[in-house]
Amino acid sequence: MTELLSVKGLTRHFGGIAAVVNLQFRVKEREIFGIIGPNGAGKTTAFSMIAGSLLPTAGSIRFRGREIAGWPSQRVVHLGICRTHQVPRPFTGMTVYENVEVGMRFGGRRTPPRGEVADEIERILEFTGLSGWGASSAGSLPTGNRKRLELARALATDPVVLLCDEICGGLNPTETADILSLLRRLRDSGITILYIEHDMRAVMRTCDRIMVLNYGQKLAEGTPEEIQDDEGVIEAYLGRRSWMGRAEQLEEPP
Amino acid sequence: MSAAPASRATSRTAYAVAALALLAFLAVPWVGISNNAIRLLLTTFLWVTTSLAWNLLGGVTGQVSFGFAVFYGLGAYTAGLSINGGITPYAAIPAGGAVAAFGSLLIGLPTFRLRGPYFAIATIGVNEAVRIVMSNLDITGGASGVRLLQAGRFSQAEHYYAALGVASLAFLVSWRVMHSPFGLALRAIREDQDAAADVGVHPFRLKLAVHALAACLTGVAGGVFAHYTAYIHPDGVFSFSTSTSILLMPVIGGLGTLSGPVIGAAVYSIVQEEMVVHFPQFHLLLYGALLILIMLFEPGGLAGLWRRLARRLRGGGP
Repeated sequence: MTELLSVKGLTRHFGGIAAVVNLQFRVKEREIFGIIGPNGAGKTTAFSMIAGSLLPTAGSIRFRGREIAGWPSQRVVHLGICRTHQVPRPFTGMTVYENVEVGMRFGGRRTPPRGEVADEIERILEFTGLSGWGASSAGSLPTGNRKRLELARALATDPVVLLCDEICGGLNPTETADILSLLRRLRDSGITILYIEHDMRAVMRTCDRIMVLNYGQKLAEGTPEEIQDDEGVIEAYLGRRSWMGRAEQLEEPP
Repeated sequence: MSAAPASRATSRTAYAVAALALLAFLAVPWVGISNNAIRLLLTTFLWVTTSLAWNLLGGVTGQVSFGFAVFYGLGAYTAGLSINGGITPYAAIPAGGAVAAFGSLLIGLPTFRLRGPYFAIATIGVNEAVRIVMSNLDITGGASGVRLLQAGRFSQAEHYYAALGVASLAFLVSWRVMHSPFGLALRAIREDQDAAADVGVHPFRLKLAVHALAACLTGVAGGVFAHYTAYIHPDGVFSFSTSTSILLMPVIGGLGTLSGPVIGAAVYSIVQEEMVVHFPQFHLLLYGALLILIMLFEPGGLAGLWRRLARRLRGGGP
């Protein structure tokens, strides 16, 4: 397994707030790399910088040895890095089919030959469980299918690295299990996945390695087993500090 | 595509209707219609052109511009001054389109950094700035405008065919764009520019491209207008109310569709003609009322209203 993505010193400030600080990690080819952490830990900020939706304040992002920090998203996509959004952002006035078609025609490292676009799109719709929905308006989809559409649209760009931002958020256990099995199948087919998730069980079951963020910094990194036993992680999620923090706040007058 | 058979049948009907309409319009100068009616049709064709052009940027791509009089005026002045310089109208009018397209790049480069209402406001400023500059430049004749010297060279039928040709061109271009991957990307930009960029669409570049295309068509329409009226002045072609008219027609007709801008332009031209004659001060009030009614009850414009009525008459759906 070779190294695909390497992030070094990645930092982003919003005004005086440091959302991500000096972040460093490496992602290997064909793994599901989980990123977890409490709300506001900087997970999505880190994602957005890798995907090109957000300019880093400092730091380096290398993809296959090439420096891509600061590239706009439409360029990053053409290298093979594509993201999904935490809150699905379908093109609501267009059909499901057309949504996927945009990804295929404009994000693809190669656009399939003329006659094959429709087949490819159908294949992706079927893979993501949206077959039969092609002609529906994307705006009329229920949440679960919106998440699937996010995935389908990103897959249409033929990614090497897929950045999934809480793709199971708001889904019921059956839907979650479905999506997770899709992610595993994608990894087995050769796609590397970076995966932000709140649902602990989903992360532990699915990821090969996990990085934990807290206050914009890396707290721990390792296999699911190592993370589960890590003192620092336990403290950040359940531990004293957060309880004491809350207690102190209660004592202060509003 | 999943809905291919149905849409193929629909588009066959649409081809037939378009071909019949074109034949009918081609025959118009030969069937003894009054000159006044021909003039009204000619004006309508020019507005159809600007409406379809504006719709490409404002309707399909969702970038509302209040500055299209700039392109109409640039086209008119380029054509007018070229014709006065002895150039044939067949070259002068396309040159108007080219200059307008070039102007659109200069305007688009800074203004497309802005989004939504900020872009719209910026185009108002650009429109006013250009109008004032044109009112004070010597080569454009300043505020007193330009009188075209060789305007008599075209017969009214020739002017009519020029306008019909330009409108047909705008229709064909719009149809091509809306059924192409380019049009697909433009719609994606309208829906969610950032999400579109996240899957590989280059919003800035495509906006510049469609802006140039729309400006070119608008400029050509302006050129035909200048050649026809033989007198243009900045407070006419470059005025803010020209921009507003160009914007109103596709909005009234139905944004993002092919038939909407055509219907909107036809309604506008006819209503304008009648209203200006009978109630010179009153006609803007009518447009205001029409616009409010459409925004309240039928965001799809007259084309949307027609679709809904047709569905109901057929007895299906709401």
